[in-house]
Amino acid sequence: MNCEIFHQLVGSYVDETLEEDRRQWFRRHLRECTSCRESALRQEPTLMFAIAPAKSAVRESVEACVAAVTGRIRQDRVERRLRHRRRPWLAAAAAAVVAVSGGLAWRAMLGNEGSGSPAIGTAQDIDRPASPPTVEVEAMGDDVRVYQFATDGDDDTAVYFIVDPALEL
Amino acid sequence: MRENLCVQRAGFGSFTGVVMNDRQWIQSAKEGDEDAYAELVRRHSVGLHRAVARILTDDAEAWDVVQMAFLKAWQKLDRYDPRYSFSTWLYRIGTNLAIDLLRSRTSRERAHKAGTEHRLRVVGSGDGAGARVESGEADDVLRQLVRVLTPQQRSAFVLREMEGLETAEVADMLGCSATTVRNHIFQARKALRRELKERFPEYLPASERG
Repeated sequence: MNCEIFHQLVGSYVDETLEEDRRQWFRRHLRECTSCRESALRQEPTLMFAIAPAKSAVRESVEACVAAVTGRIRQDRVERRLRHRRRPWLAAAAAAVVAVSGGLAWRAMLGNEGSGSPAIGTAQDIDRPASPPTVEVEAMGDDVRVYQFATDGDDDTAVYFIVDPALEL
Repeated sequence: MRENLCVQRAGFGSFTGVVMNDRQWIQSAKEGDEDAYAELVRRHSVGLHRAVARILTDDAEAWDVVQMAFLKAWQKLDRYDPRYSFSTWLYRIGTNLAIDLLRSRTSRERAHKAGTEHRLRVVGSGDGAGARVESGEADDVLRQLVRVLTPQQRSAFVLREMEGLETAEVADMLGCSATTVRNHIFQARKALRRELKERFPEYLPASERG
């Protein structure tokens, strides 16, 4: 009886006009009844895709996926927290860079005006550093490093200190 | 799609006997509980991977998409509408990522097809095809034929015909109407039937083989 009904429904299944309950019943019968399956596949070969067995996922793959997702979530959280904490330090460091370079530039300018000497070509200029010391700020993982180079041309001499991002200003 | 129920894990190997459903896990995850979210990943990754792997016809790439889908879902968890089941929402994210990937690799795939196409030959005849299909050949055949389908047709066909989801669910996942889903299935079946005839006549009844 069931098999008879099944054969009457093949066309409606393929045309997508079956109600969902009927459709589920049809798919179950297609999987369970060997003779109906053979004849239905002869009638409509694309029904083979409806009974394709699900491959079982390997447990290790699932756990690897869990570890990757949760690991990334934790990493994002730590990075967000660090970004938030670093901000005042970076602002302070940037202000320090501006202050140091501005002050030195100002001093150099005043020195030039006071002496009344020409800006280029004197013996005094040769003794004076070619350019003011530079300060660089670098974010290294959890640390914020601030470097001060002796002069622009001297990359070998550098003083740096590491700022603890956990400290609040 | 039925909402999954499972027993909450209290620690390594011990159980509290408290039955948790998706909504409760999601609520805990929204409050920042990563372990609750890990449980959702455990529960839904297998089904999502199966569907995405069939759409992409690539197991390894499908795991990447599954991970991306879960991360995106975590980032948008506040926007999750509990009127829909979590799996429908997740499948929507995963399917969209898979469709984007398919679109991006279309040209690469064409070039690959021209150079290295090889066909899986299936021995036997239309009679007895049912038994062969049970052994997993359908996935192999689909892998060979799926290029003739558009990304939307591919997704609709896999979700509806292979995963057995309802039309309304597939429409929600693909962001289109139920009529459009039916049309995608109809077109996909037509194209697959034509390809089967050309490339795998063994699956056709003797009267139809060319």
